Amino acid sequence: MSGAVLVVGELREGRLVPSVTEAVGAARAISGPGTPIVGFVAGPSTDAATKEFGRLGVPDVRTASDPRFDRAPVSALAAFVAQAAGDAGADLVLVPGTTFGRDLVGRLGIRWNAAAVTGVTEVQRADGAWQVRRPIFGGRATETRRLDGARAVVGLRPHAYAPPPDAPVDVRSTAVAPREPPANLWVPKRVAEEPVASGSGPSLTDASIVVSGGRGLRAPENFHLVDELAASLGAAVGASRAVTDAGWRPSSLQVGQTGKAVSPQLYLAVGISGAIQHIVGMVSSRVIVAINSDATAPIFKVADYGVVGDLFQIVPALTAEIRRVRSA
Amino acid sequence: MEIVVCIKPVPEPETRLRAAPDGRILDPEGVKYVLTGYDESAVEQALLLKESVPGSKVRAVSFGPSPRAEETLRAAVALGCDSATWIDSGAEPSPDPVDVARALAGTLRSLPHDLVLCGKQAGDDEAGLVAGALGELLGVPDFGYVVDLRWDAARSVFTFHRMTETLQESWEAPGPLVIGLQQAWNDPRTAKLPAILKSRKAPIDKVPVPAPDAHASRSRATTFALPPPRAGAKLIEYKTPEEAAERLVKVLREEAKVFP
Amino acid sequence: MPDFSLTPEQESLRDLARKFARTEMAPHAAEADRTARFPEEIYRKAYDLGLTNLNVPTEYGGSGLGALDQCLIVEELAHACGGMTTSIIANCLALEPILLGGTPEQKARFLTPFCAQYGLASFALTEPSGGSDAGALRTRARREGDHYVLDGEKCFITNAPHAGLYTVFATVDPERRHKGITAFVVSRSTEGVLPGKDEEKMGHRASSTGTIRFEGAKVPVANRLGEEGEGFSLAMRTLDQTRTPIGALATGIAQAALDHAAAYSLKRQSFGKPIAQHQAIQIKLANMVQAIHAARLLTWHAAWTIDQGARGTLESSIAKCFASDAAFAVADEAIQTFGGYGYMKDYPVEKLLRDAKLTQIYEGANEIQRSVIARELLRAYE
Repeated sequence: MSGAVLVVGELREGRLVPSVTEAVGAARAISGPGTPIVGFVAGPSTDAATKEFGRLGVPDVRTASDPRFDRAPVSALAAFVAQAAGDAGADLVLVPGTTFGRDLVGRLGIRWNAAAVTGVTEVQRADGAWQVRRPIFGGRATETRRLDGARAVVGLRPHAYAPPPDAPVDVRSTAVAPREPPANLWVPKRVAEEPVASGSGPSLTDASIVVSGGRGLRAPENFHLVDELAASLGAAVGASRAVTDAGWRPSSLQVGQTGKAVSPQLYLAVGISGAIQHIVGMVSSRVIVAINSDATAPIFKVADYGVVGDLFQIVPALTAEIRRVRSA
Repeated sequence: MEIVVCIKPVPEPETRLRAAPDGRILDPEGVKYVLTGYDESAVEQALLLKESVPGSKVRAVSFGPSPRAEETLRAAVALGCDSATWIDSGAEPSPDPVDVARALAGTLRSLPHDLVLCGKQAGDDEAGLVAGALGELLGVPDFGYVVDLRWDAARSVFTFHRMTETLQESWEAPGPLVIGLQQAWNDPRTAKLPAILKSRKAPIDKVPVPAPDAHASRSRATTFALPPPRAGAKLIEYKTPEEAAERLVKVLREEAKVFP
Repeated sequence: MPDFSLTPEQESLRDLARKFARTEMAPHAAEADRTARFPEEIYRKAYDLGLTNLNVPTEYGGSGLGALDQCLIVEELAHACGGMTTSIIANCLALEPILLGGTPEQKARFLTPFCAQYGLASFALTEPSGGSDAGALRTRARREGDHYVLDGEKCFITNAPHAGLYTVFATVDPERRHKGITAFVVSRSTEGVLPGKDEEKMGHRASSTGTIRFEGAKVPVANRLGEEGEGFSLAMRTLDQTRTPIGALATGIAQAALDHAAAYSLKRQSFGKPIAQHQAIQIKLANMVQAIHAARLLTWHAAWTIDQGARGTLESSIAKCFASDAAFAVADEAIQTFGGYGYMKDYPVEKLLRDAKLTQIYEGANEIQRSVIARELLRAYE
């Protein structure tokens, strides 16, 4: 194996999103010490992101600085990534596990004539080819896939790999100049955007800790218990379908089969019984904690730790304890 | 407007999963394949659009083996799709989704299409590769995570929304487009009994799967595994809520090491 | 060799019914049972999907299904709620006399407008003084020119307070017993047709059961099905057609009871292991599944017999009688499997026993079924 690994960056408010940092961590974890790791970033301005790559120890960043990328569809971007991968001599492109990344992988696979997979939790080299593991069927099974051919595009699952420690290096950026993608790929216009309703913390799919509330909270006015616990942990707030269907919280916070799939380091389920519809959205979290008054609730089957008891007493005590520990 | 909706037969959600004897893929023995979540929303989106744009036609296209692909297409016809095309995959039980996109693109090139809809991902392999690959193969833009697509006849553009991690984006674009739809936002309809009976007699256009491109890089499944059964939660013993909180934080820090 | 496989068409009909049962009926079954609410919004949805007029040919706007197709649907619906299912399929029973005894003109006049929109119909045979002894019914029909005038009372009539159309059996001459019975199609809007209140029932509480009084109700002669005196035969031939789906309904209740019991037995621990590992429970489950298999196969066989064009009196009586007894026994064992929890209304199985009980009584009590079975049997030895 001699090729470089290209890590595709994604900007949010001019900075790399956390999933990109994890992708750099993945690149380090899966490649030998001699393997070049190359960054890629596209946007109206790529300087800040280039520096961030440098801070993470990536010395070589391919950039596409173009005002059109502020609002361009992913479709137009694939040609730039393919060009960057070719320029860098990469045989593997790692793509962050975001909506942006998900939309990119299939197109890039065709564009760059590479085997393409998404939602990957583990990448390794075996018998001269990349091999990946990925959860399927809502986390009820996993599959291993072998990527045949000289090139591979791998979309990672959020939180599958830890961000690397800072290892600042001098960074050199090189502009990517592919043949201009067909004009129609630039035509779609983003005409408006508004923030998705969420708690004050990080977004659900980005967060490394998620606290979700369910019907056990009994009434919308009690949901602040979940908000406060999440705030004490710097966590994102989620909800079961019962809660979003009842309109206590917006549907953008729903975790589950018909909502968001999350896989944080820590998932706290508060007053959630654990219907299969909810379980498939969170079962691949690393550590699951359930707080519920019903000891027979199915959530305790998938949880790693459980507290059987009255959430109206346990949750405030837990919030206080976390605040105490954090401030100590 | 010519709308094509690509659908995949997927094991029904309550299927008990187990590996096939070769250990590579899900054992299809006894599994019932149906139209599921994302694809149901895609079909519903196609029908809503058809109903709002006079003169529209919806064609369902599915890649897969018999009988599951035909059955899924008949389900789509029973819901209101006007015609159906079955790309007969033969025996291949678990193709690379990118190869499926190649087969779909090959078929779509000879079918009129102003808009190609599909689920954002399939309910089984959850790959979400088809829309992007199809967009690139057809040379048109694609978008995933889409909800509520409409046709603005006055300006001849599609308008739609996309949910990202932090934003709800509003887009507009002329056709043709490939769109991957979110599930569970549009309350998919249920086929009525007379339509189900009629769909049994609907013609299904069968096309052969194109010869695979020998030079293409592709992925293939090598093992299918079920996660080890969870042992069940380790329950925190306590006398007071404060004690429960203290013990839980202690195990999360020292044993699970999830926060400092 | 018999073939027990279903056609893809039958599979898709069953899928439709299963989906409707799971998503529209099951979530409301406990609440409708507790409050004895008649969930008409569910019956409307059932109509919209084509699940209410299953036996009416498509030319009149029905679904045009054969007996086996109907049974597949009914079993799935009953798995979610027996009471709702009875109300959903009551139209089949009420409209069957028109299908069997109506002229083409009557079929077009009654069925086409009825099936064109949501509506319920009731089969009005039973009277307060007797159900099984149909020959003894007392509701009078007196001819006056081009009308009959109906007087009397019917009871235990499914959907009566909500139905717009009744098929009514009355006698033109009580002296003539069976030979005086005559069938009529009566619109609820007819003056002198007075549906009474809902009965408070042990089970089937999502269904509505009530009385209908006739006080000088004038019914056109053109609404008479067949000739005077042909009503009894028409009622019996109707029940030959509709008895088999009751076998399917009972099978659905029994299957639900087994599903609950088996799932619970794997979850519930006693003496350090799931109760499913105790032989006492395994024997229960094994007996339950045998009864259900037998009930289903008898039902399918009766339906198949009818679909072959035979009258199927013996087969349908056996199916209805066996399946309803099986449903009661299986629901009973499901409660026993749940132990004390099974007796509690917070758990789903006691409802199944209450719902199963009715299947032994209605559409011909099982005592009548047995006498029919014996009569048909002995005929072969005479």
